[in-house]
Amino acid sequence: MTELRFHRDLYAGAAIDEAVKTYARFATFELAEEAAYWVVRVTATSDARANRVARELANFALGTTIRARGERA
Amino acid sequence: MSSVLEGLPSELVSADLASGAAQLRVDLAIHPLSAVYAASYVFLDRCFVLLDKTDDHTLRVTLAPRKPGADESVLRAFVGEFANELLSAAWRQQIAQDNRAVIEMVTSQAIAAAMGAPSLDDLAGFDFGDESFEDPLGIAMSWEEKYKKKPAASEGGGTPPAEDGGGQP
Repeated sequence: MTELRFHRDLYAGAAIDEAVKTYARFATFELAEEAAYWVVRVTATSDARANRVARELANFALGTTIRARGERA
Repeated sequence: MSSVLEGLPSELVSADLASGAAQLRVDLAIHPLSAVYAASYVFLDRCFVLLDKTDDHTLRVTLAPRKPGADESVLRAFVGEFANELLSAAWRQQIAQDNRAVIEMVTSQAIAAAMGAPSLDDLAGFDFGDESFEDPLGIAMSWEEKYKKKPAASEGGGTPPAEDGGGQP
């Protein structure tokens, strides 16, 4: 299992939701909220796969957050 | 296990060679968040990028090259390139901010020019006004107004000109 922590000031919640939906068929995700973080726990058939999916998901969430900011500006 | 990348300041950069990732500390007072986003976006196709906030003024950027087996030299190169991109993005934003008024003026002029010449309806609705304007060369004066004959009285004759214009050319 790999845990990702996305700071709320840096990542848009909608971007994380979209990323989770996009990668849902590659792994199992568990979402949680903390005061300052969105937390995503990734479980896959192996740790290496979970790690790879988690990294791809993080990139997707960051890219979506940045694009959303650009459209708002 | 965290290690230092040679040639880079240890208080700002560290690397985890086992996981093939490097961490860079970014001061938000020097590099605004928008510049960090801009630099990160450029690296998304080559690295896995994760941002985190360590305090209100500092970000931690984690870069992990997509190609597995990144050694120290690869990580050093990526961190250096990211730092350059970060500086470039911050500077570009500063220039855009400084020149915003000029950019807006040129853009509005270009759009206005692209709209073409005014139509007759536009001219009919144009308010020319009655305000006087400077015309030192007399360009706006009519020919008659500019070269009209001066009254004979001013020529020193003392007699008013005849009603029928006799004697006058």
